[in-house]
Formats: sequence, structure tokens, C-alpha cells
Amino acid sequence: MTQNYFELFNLPEKFQIDSLKLQKNYRTIQKEIHPDRFATSTENEKTQSMIKSTQVNDAYQTLKSPTKRAKYILSLHKSVEKITLPPDFLMQQMEWEEDLEDIKKNNKELDQFKLAINKKYEEYSLLLSTQIDDDQNWNEAGITIDKLYFVEKLLHKINIALN
Amino acid sequence: MALLQISEPGKSTMPHEHRRVVGIDLGTTNSLVASVISGSPAILIQDNESNLLPSVVYYSKNTVQVGNEAKDHQSNDAENTISSVKRLIGKAIDDVNQVNFPLNLSDGDGVINIKTSDGMKNPIEVSAEILKMLRTVAENNLGGELMGAVVTVPAYFDDAQRQATKDACQLAGLNILRLINEPTAAAVAYGLDKKSMGQFVVFDLGGGTFDVSILNLSKGLFEVLATHGDANLGGDDFDQAIVNFLNNKYKLNIKDIEVQSMISILAREIKELLSNKKEVEILKEINGKEIKEIFTQQQFKALVNDLIEQTLKATKNALNDAKLSTDQIDGVIMVGGSTRMPCIQEAVGNLFKQDLLNDLNPDEVVALGAAIQANILAGNGQEDLLLLDVTPLSLGIETMGSIVERIIPRNTTLPVAMAQEFTTYKDGQTAMIIHVVQGERDLVDDCRSLAKFTLKKIPPMVAGAAKIKVTFQVDTDGLLSVSAEETSTNEKASIEVKPSYGLSEDNIKTMLQSSYDLAEEDKISRALAETKVEANQLIELTQKALDADKDLLSDSELTSIKNDLKDLINALNSSNNDKIKEATKQLNTKSEPFAAKRMDRSIQKALTGKSINKLEF
Repeated sequence: MTQNYFELFNLPEKFQIDSLKLQKNYRTIQKEIHPDRFATSTENEKTQSMIKSTQVNDAYQTLKSPTKRAKYILSLHKSVEKITLPPDFLMQQMEWEEDLEDIKKNNKELDQFKLAINKKYEEYSLLLSTQIDDDQNWNEAGITIDKLYFVEKLLHKINIALN
Repeated sequence: MALLQISEPGKSTMPHEHRRVVGIDLGTTNSLVASVISGSPAILIQDNESNLLPSVVYYSKNTVQVGNEAKDHQSNDAENTISSVKRLIGKAIDDVNQVNFPLNLSDGDGVINIKTSDGMKNPIEVSAEILKMLRTVAENNLGGELMGAVVTVPAYFDDAQRQATKDACQLAGLNILRLINEPTAAAVAYGLDKKSMGQFVVFDLGGGTFDVSILNLSKGLFEVLATHGDANLGGDDFDQAIVNFLNNKYKLNIKDIEVQSMISILAREIKELLSNKKEVEILKEINGKEIKEIFTQQQFKALVNDLIEQTLKATKNALNDAKLSTDQIDGVIMVGGSTRMPCIQEAVGNLFKQDLLNDLNPDEVVALGAAIQANILAGNGQEDLLLLDVTPLSLGIETMGSIVERIIPRNTTLPVAMAQEFTTYKDGQTAMIIHVVQGERDLVDDCRSLAKFTLKKIPPMVAGAAKIKVTFQVDTDGLLSVSAEETSTNEKASIEVKPSYGLSEDNIKTMLQSSYDLAEEDKISRALAETKVEANQLIELTQKALDADKDLLSDSELTSIKNDLKDLINALNSSNNDKIKEATKQLNTKSEPFAAKRMDRSIQKALTGKSINKLEF
């Protein structure tokens, strides 16, 4: 039975997270149960250590990523549904993709584009924080998560183009 | 009143003998073995006073020679002198460019066969000979049998190469505590020696492999953030660039094994001399042709420019994956003999705009790090260090249209498990084949085939109704295992694994049998002794665990474990190997939930800062 990830790391169940505390607690836990700690121990401890360490890694990766963390919180409160993004956002998506294609070779313009998209990223993160932590508005949060996810991927593409 | 030290349940309080463990660097060109002695890691010396054992094996009818003795035969019997076998391990004949190997290679079943005057040899047995020699050196130096070893592999080695390395260790009679990645081992040696903290790059260019790893070093924990590389790029390729140049210019016969062997040796000499001199003059006769050249560093750099670019590209990729830029790097550690080349030092120094760290001997640092880790795993050391490493290659499965669907992305922290659900496409289908591949490309053919898993005994249902959950697990050695169950009926499907490369279990058993010189009775008593040791350890640790944490169990759970414990103690007294094994397995399996609960408790205690290590009066 997998434990609630927030409980595992001794953190409150919120979108706004203390990243340093998450990292610190992750390291503390792995230092206790990682398979290397049981290299010369008994079979049962080796098996359980492998299972737990794997679960802890999964929990950490989930809580570390804003989009995964948000999706996880939502999954604790409602079943996963297919989200339809509003048409104006879908238009914006296409525009951004086209813009990126156009400026791919121009580092200066890419830098500016990156700044603009970063701003959107911050905006959606903040919105998500309100929707999840303050309002518990799961439906709206679901839409914002997908927007944030798209912007995250776009930033990744921009970074690849910059290199 | 003095502080009483009470250790955690599960960790033995009995003062045990310092366990004899070593770290082994099984290199392409040279191998080393090291151990922690009086608190410091040290390379164990060979008989001829050298630290390095050339990774060369020579076969003649009924004899095997390893190291310098073997190397002596390179010029007179090249066909039977096997060097750089690391470039062949875990591969099939199609994976290698035979021109680069002055050997008789052919296709074995799942392995490459090397024809020698002592019969066909595969890379696993050849590597085992090197490991046996290292083991002998270690046992002579340390005065007794080894309890275990940590063996290093290139970070970029895939599953097949890792498994083959493990098989070679088994053939050599070594108990493997862990396989660790070479850059990580180097970081351990370096980080602990200099007490470094921060973000570090390890640039590891060996004889046959290239790895670049980005690590975060903090107190008590070294975490790999990303790793990249090329398991087919190393110093040998730099030699090859010179070989190709000479072959072309002097129109030498590339099919003549003896000639190619001499040219290879010459090329290596040139490369090594150029590491210290700006130019080198060559005058040598090979097969009637006179080779007269003045080689400069500039010339060499031009010949190997592509190779250098490849290493820089992999380095940039690693930085991207780690989400770091070059100016966020606190230090660049150079590892592997090939990093002595001035053109490499220049290129890497320019990329990071800082002085490179190469004050630890680049040939020794990996073995030293492995020795430190072996010490930690064996519970010998005072050192409290945890290594968190990653899987270097993405793991995926073949789907419709020969496309790869990625299940576990590269650079995921280990251990990791991901589950994927499949379903049947025909009514009543009771079996399916899952093809697992490793690599970053989108097409199956461009990736490395690991194995085909056949799932059988799927309960027959309407097409699409079966929900088969397949779990892919990669352990801390970087090795994959797969389990499957049909979730609507909770039936565990039976899995047959057909690895794409390597030796089957039966092959290994056969090879192990033939390598033992022990008489039958010795074999039996040895097996019994091992079984008894394991049983005793389980009894002792279970009793300690119960003493400390039996409150975690219900009355019935407690009674159950106590009964299994009694059964094991009785079985021990019977001296019947099978009985003891059975009872050990029983107690191990039944006490797993207890072990899990104890781990949860230790996590809670660690997080809330209460350690039961200190009881103050």
C-alpha cells in the first residue's frame, strides 16, 4: 500500500511546497532505507529496501515537479478525467509553436521569447496555487495544470534551440 | 555515566571481523584492485611491483597468461593475445567493427566467439581470467579469502554489458556487492579526499569508453544528476585515427593481423609520446615498408577532432539534462589515462573556462573509489556516504509500427520501477511477447534490444478485456527485471525471459562447473557452510529485530515469526542443506512485512530527528 507522498516526506498537502525541506527529507529517508544500507543484510531486508527505496524515488520525482505535484494532489481528490482546453488557449498554443519555429536560429529573440514564456509559467503556477491551496477548485485546477504542462514543454524546446 | 551505544535493529552489534572487501576497476587497457587499509584506500600491488594489470589475456594450448606476460605475445602471436576485451563484452558480432580488432571473431550464440589455439573463448570468460588474477593479487595482499567486491563499469554500459560483467565476476568466484559506475567511483575518491561540495563534472575517457557525469556532492550524499557518454569511444579510437592515417599513407595490408597489431602498437606509442612532447619522430620498418614520419600535436589534434567534438557534445547534453550551465559547475574532474592528451585537456578547459582537477592519478582514482564504496557496503568503515546514481539510457518497449514507447526515461534515480498496462488483441489470447529495448531513438531498430519477455498463462478473455500490468524494475546495479500480473483476476502471469545477448543460466552453470577444481565432497561441504552462515545471520538479525520492534506486530504475526525462527534453528541442527535453505527462505519471506514496518519506523524517527542511536543518562 503506498503511503500519501506528502505524509511520507512530512510535508503539508499543498501545491506551494518547501523545496529545500522536500530535498532534505528525501535525502534523510534514502540514507535510512537505500539498498546500499542493506548490502550485506538478509534477503527480506534487501527486498523491502528495494521496494521502499523505489517508492520513495517515485514520490520524490512526483512532488519535485510542479505539474506532477499538482496532478497528484488532484488525484487524491477526484478521479482523472480528460480535460478539454479552452479554444483560446489552443490558439495561443499554436501561435507560440509557430513563433518558436520562426525564431529558432536567432539567439537574441529566443532569449526574449524565453523571458516571456517564463512569465507565463510563473503566472500559471501562482494561479494553480490559489486554485488548489486556497479554493480547492479541482476542475479549474485541472485546466491550469495542462496549460502549465504545455508551457513547461515549450520552455524545454526553447532551451534545446538555445544550445 | 558513559553513553551506551545501542545500534539500530537489523544492524549487527556483534563486533565482526573487518570484512575483506575490494574495489576493482576492470578497464579496457589496464585493470586495478584496491582496498581500504587502515582507513585509507590503496591500490594493491602486483608481483612485479606495478599498480596496473594490463587487461590482456594470452591463450596457448592448455595455458592462460594474464597481464604483462600476455602482453609480451602481442608481437609474435597476435591472434591469441586478446586485449581490450571490454569492447566486446555484452555485444554481438554485428555490433563491432572487426577491422579494429586484430582477432578472429565470429558469432557465438548470444556472445562473440574469439578463436584461439585453446578453443573458442567468449568475452565473459576472458574477462573472468583478468578478474581471477586480480582476486589472487588481492587475497595474497590481504592475507585471506575475499568476502566481496565492488566492480566498476562505464556509466554508459547497457543492461547486456552489465549483466555480462556480473557473469564474468561470478565465473571468477567473486561475490559482487555492487556494480558501480566509473565516474561515480571517481567522484567518491575525489570528493572524500578533497572534502569537496557542490556541482561537479566527471569527464572519464578510458581506453574504450567515454562517460561524462554531473554530480552534486554534499555531506554524506553524492547524487548523480545526469550522465551521458559513448560506450564505444575511448583512447583506442584515438589510436585508430593514427592507424588509419598510416594505413592509408603507406598502403598497408589491413587484413594482415600481425601487421595491424604492430601498427596499433606504434600508433599508441605515438599518441602517448605526444602527450609530453610537441612532436615525435618515427622511423620503423613494418612488413618490408619503411614508416618515416614526424608527428606533431597539431597534426594529431586535426586527425581526432571529430572524436573530441563527440565528447564535448555528450558533455553539453549531460549539462542540459541536469539543467545546469557551465558556470554553475564547481569543478571538473578528469579520469582515465586518455585524459592525459593535451588536446582533450585544452578542449574541456575551454568549455568550462576553469582549471581542470587532475591531481589524483587518473589511472587509479576509479579503483580507489570502488574500494571506499566496498568498505561502506561491507559495514567496515566509519564513512557515512550514500551514492544515488541514475540509469544512463531510456528503457522502452516495442509497440505497433516498430516504434519505441519509453517507459523509464534516462537519468532517472535508481532504484526505479514503472508499470505499464497492456491488453490482448485477440479473443482468448493467453500469451504475449514484450520486446524491451534501451536507447534514445524512436525506432526499435535504432535502439539496443535487451530481451524478449513472453508472458504466458494470461487468463483467456475477450480481446481487450485483460488488464496486464507489467512492472519494469531497474536496480542499483542498473539491471532490469520484469514482473507481470493480470489485474482483473490477480493472476501472476508466468514470464519467460529470452535475453538478446549474453549467456543463459545453463551456460553459466556449465562454465562454473568446469572451472571448479574442487572434489565433489569439498563442493558439498562448501555449499553447506555457506547455507549455514546465511541461516545464522538471519536468526541473529531476526532476534535482534524482535527485541527492538516486536511492538509493531500483532500477536498472531509475532507467533508466526517465532515459529518460523524455531523451524530454522531446528533445520540448522539437522545439517541438511535443502532443509536449511527451505527454512531460511520461509523465514525471509514471512518476515518481509515486519521488515517493511521497521523501515517505516526508522524513516519516521529519522525525519523527526529522533535517532535511537543515542540514549543519554
